[in-house]
Amino acid sequence: MKRQLIAAVGVAAMVVGLAACGSDGKKDDNAGSGSSSAAGAKNYSGKTLKVWLMSGSAPKGWTDAVKTEFETTYPGSKVDFQIQEWGGIGAKVTAALSEGSVDVVEVGNTQTAGYAASGGLLDITKDKANLGGADWAANQNESAILDGKQYAAPWWVSNRVVAYNKDLWTKAGLTDAPKTLDEFYTDLEKLKATDGVADPIYLPGQEWYTYFGLLTGEGGKIAKKDGDKWVGGLSSPEAQKAFETYKKLQGYSVTGPKDKDEATPQQKDVFGKGNVGAMIGLGWELPDEKTMPKDKIGFFPLPGKTADKPSGVFLGGSNLAIASQGKNTDMAKDFLKVALNDKNEGLVAAAGNIPNKAALNSQLTGDFAKAAQSAAAVGGITPNTPNWASVEDNPNPVKDFLTAVLQGGDYAATAKKYDDEIAKRLNQKQ
Amino acid sequence: MAVHSERVQTQSPEPGKAVVASIETRAAGGGAKGSAPKGTRSADGPGLGSRLAPYLLLLPATVATIALLGWPLVKTVLLSFQNLNKRQLVLHLTEWNGFDNYKEQLTDPEFWSVTGRTVVFTLVNVVLIMVGGTLIGLLLNHLGKKMRLVLSIGLLMAWAMPVVAATTVYSWLFDQQWGVVNWVLDQLGWHSMADYNWMSDQYSTFFVVILLIVWQSVPFVAFNMYAGLTTIPRELYEAARMDGAGSFKIFGSVIFPSLKPFFLATTFLEIIWVFKAFTQVYAINAGGPEKLTRTLPVHAFLEGSSGQHYGVGSAIAVLTILMLGALMAYYFRIMIKQEDEL
Amino acid sequence: MRRSLFGRTWPNVIAVVLFVFFIFPVYWMVATAFKQNNDIISKTPVFIPFNGTFEHFTTAVNAPNFWTYVTNSLIATVGAVLASLVIATLAAFAIARMKFRGRKSFVLVVMIAQMAPWEVMTIAVYIISRDNGMLNSLVPLTFFYMMMVLPFTIWTLRSFIAAVPKELEESAMVDGCTRTQAFVKVIFPLLAPGLMSTSLFGFITAWNEFPLVLILNKEEGKTLPLWLSSFKTAFGNDWGATMAASTMFAIPVLILFVFLQRKAVGGLTDGAVKG
Repeated sequence: MKRQLIAAVGVAAMVVGLAACGSDGKKDDNAGSGSSSAAGAKNYSGKTLKVWLMSGSAPKGWTDAVKTEFETTYPGSKVDFQIQEWGGIGAKVTAALSEGSVDVVEVGNTQTAGYAASGGLLDITKDKANLGGADWAANQNESAILDGKQYAAPWWVSNRVVAYNKDLWTKAGLTDAPKTLDEFYTDLEKLKATDGVADPIYLPGQEWYTYFGLLTGEGGKIAKKDGDKWVGGLSSPEAQKAFETYKKLQGYSVTGPKDKDEATPQQKDVFGKGNVGAMIGLGWELPDEKTMPKDKIGFFPLPGKTADKPSGVFLGGSNLAIASQGKNTDMAKDFLKVALNDKNEGLVAAAGNIPNKAALNSQLTGDFAKAAQSAAAVGGITPNTPNWASVEDNPNPVKDFLTAVLQGGDYAATAKKYDDEIAKRLNQKQ
Repeated sequence: MAVHSERVQTQSPEPGKAVVASIETRAAGGGAKGSAPKGTRSADGPGLGSRLAPYLLLLPATVATIALLGWPLVKTVLLSFQNLNKRQLVLHLTEWNGFDNYKEQLTDPEFWSVTGRTVVFTLVNVVLIMVGGTLIGLLLNHLGKKMRLVLSIGLLMAWAMPVVAATTVYSWLFDQQWGVVNWVLDQLGWHSMADYNWMSDQYSTFFVVILLIVWQSVPFVAFNMYAGLTTIPRELYEAARMDGAGSFKIFGSVIFPSLKPFFLATTFLEIIWVFKAFTQVYAINAGGPEKLTRTLPVHAFLEGSSGQHYGVGSAIAVLTILMLGALMAYYFRIMIKQEDEL
Repeated sequence: MRRSLFGRTWPNVIAVVLFVFFIFPVYWMVATAFKQNNDIISKTPVFIPFNGTFEHFTTAVNAPNFWTYVTNSLIATVGAVLASLVIATLAAFAIARMKFRGRKSFVLVVMIAQMAPWEVMTIAVYIISRDNGMLNSLVPLTFFYMMMVLPFTIWTLRSFIAAVPKELEESAMVDGCTRTQAFVKVIFPLLAPGLMSTSLFGFITAWNEFPLVLILNKEEGKTLPLWLSSFKTAFGNDWGATMAASTMFAIPVLILFVFLQRKAVGGLTDGAVKG
């Protein structure tokens, strides 16, 4: 339902990619897949592989490079990338998996188990080694496994950091990145009083990823298993502490609506206007170069209560999976091999996302990546259970919870109500 | 949207007649007006061919109705007896589970609170629409030619406005920061409303939704009321006035009895339309905040499609259809009964 | 009459207030669409856009996929209306002019179909479309939109046909026409205004449809109402562009509606008089 401008950018990029065909694909053949001679025996001529990527996931140039490489390795074949929006993605992916209208699909790491349990993802346990699975970072691969079987290949993970508008910070007389939350609050106060600052920080009330990070930092869990039943964790003391921080932070946001998430409107558009001091976001959520040049944006991890470590973060990420009902499963496996080879995975790292192999971490570049990496150590992920995906279905109870309490709802009662809803969704039968 | 199509029905080609008048002739099955020519005159020749002709003509419409309306209806019922979630959808599994979905819904307090809310929501809307529409209809009748035209243009615009465009505009009018409504309230001295978020609360969200629906529905009632009033002979008013009747008395003794069929039919049509209104409620705030403005159709959609419990959603849909069916049966009974009286 | 000045003024005052109440949202939509951005985002609303701009319309038209959505809307809508017109003309002729067993039941079915609860049947339509591999396609949209406008089209055409004096048809048959010829040569020309206005009403209905396309189509398969409903994602907080998009979507309907309001009444009498 939600639609983002970036989809068009992706499509435009693909068209450009077509024109650039054939030039840089060849030289990477060997470096990348290594076994292209064997692949040459397979003939995918005339076949089109449909690949769904999420809006903002694929780094610039990645789709072009992968498309070119695959289509030159397998002459006559075509890769058709389609960019999807996150809003309402659950129902959309389910429908596509059931129709068999997609071959390869990017799935969020929190949602992979859900799709796997639905039977929509192909079991690739046997192909893991061939895809380079031996070197995959264990903490990333965890989300791709259900009941001991491999249902997806890890692609990358990332976490949110504070992105700030350097010009406005200079104007407010701020120089160093804050080391503690209290310092950060002081900075925000100063920003607020600065001319030309419409909002010291843009933080909509339903930015539950930030809340989740704070919760992780406090050592809490959003839900945990009690016997064979799940119970929600919003009522825990850790969750309440995390909420206090979240509320304080959100309170500094003048324009961030309490009942909207970061995608309505896209926070990068808000930040891109140039009158917002900071936002908390992922690498791809930055305004494009034309709107706000890269060197105008600085990054630091959201500081912690004390200077020794930053606040916790949500370790978001994506896996690539093959649709079990798809018509081109062999082709899809070969696609994954190309898409995840070291060269292309390197592009992921270069864009600031943490790649699926530790060996490639050295290729991480940019201020964003540095800031993100320092916080990744205190990162956490949602419970790895098939039903977690349905917690994220609209309306997401965590988002509703945040809105309700931010607007003055009683903490204990509201937390109880939404803990019940989380438990209901986690404990439902398939 | 469907609201529009049904309203449109009342654009009766018979000028000057109230909506009910045309509905009645229709209900009468064309009765006197549409009486068929004598069979023997048919130049297609008598016999089998001409006896089959009407059925052949109706065939495409019948097939379309069965396939495109009947089948989805049956399918809704079938789905409501299935356990159909993500897994079953992806793997094309059919798992019958008897009355489980119904049991789950009928014992779920949330279903009942949504149902109760839908009923209250419908009542509030319909009362406002009927009272507002009637008063404006009377006013139209009372006005001079020029002012009547002016007011009619206003009404027509509101009526014709596409629902999705209207919801978008209302979101803008009631925008927290730059919305003109908050500004007006602030200017009027209600300063706490200057930065009020209308979508943050169940009642204020409902206020916006109801205002939107009433705004769009009143013109229909007003126009038909006015059309109905023009059919009442002047002498009736004058006779009543001679007897010394005041305005209220005239409404009670002259207008209401003459237009009773109009009131009954319109009220029921409005009840049915509001009860199943989806777009306005969904597009304004998607049943939020905290699910508190969900009405039955929105609930069915969110549980079934967004929550991916298609069987459960279908059960809610069937229960909604049953309630609507009861309303419609009552409506048709009134229509047919009136036809007997006339 | 012996009404006081007071009694004459009040109704007019109320009428003006009501006029403003009903027209204001429509006016505000159009006015916002033409305003400069700093007039839109201004603590004191600007009520009349003196220094107007077309900038927002450019933004809306250049939004990703705008023309795809326009095309989708047009294909589904026009396809649905044309198909329903053909099917409805046949059926309407039968129920308006012929006597046969089952006629009353058919009429009743049409009346009920007119009130079909499409809003809650979307899940079933979704599953049916999925089973036929037709999600994100315009085919089911066109078919179901056709069904949505069909009962109303039959209804109205029936009245139009019934209003054509039977004698015209009969005299044509006396002149040696077959019944089909009589229909084509006599009734059909008289029906043209009726067909016209009926199809335009059908067009408006399908053009505005929202619940079904919401569940069936995403991304490139969207129609204009679905696109408009997600304006927050499409335009962020750009209310100017949002209102420009709404205006472009609504204006054709508003114009058609005003035009039809007269035509629906006028068309028939014209035809009959001419006949």
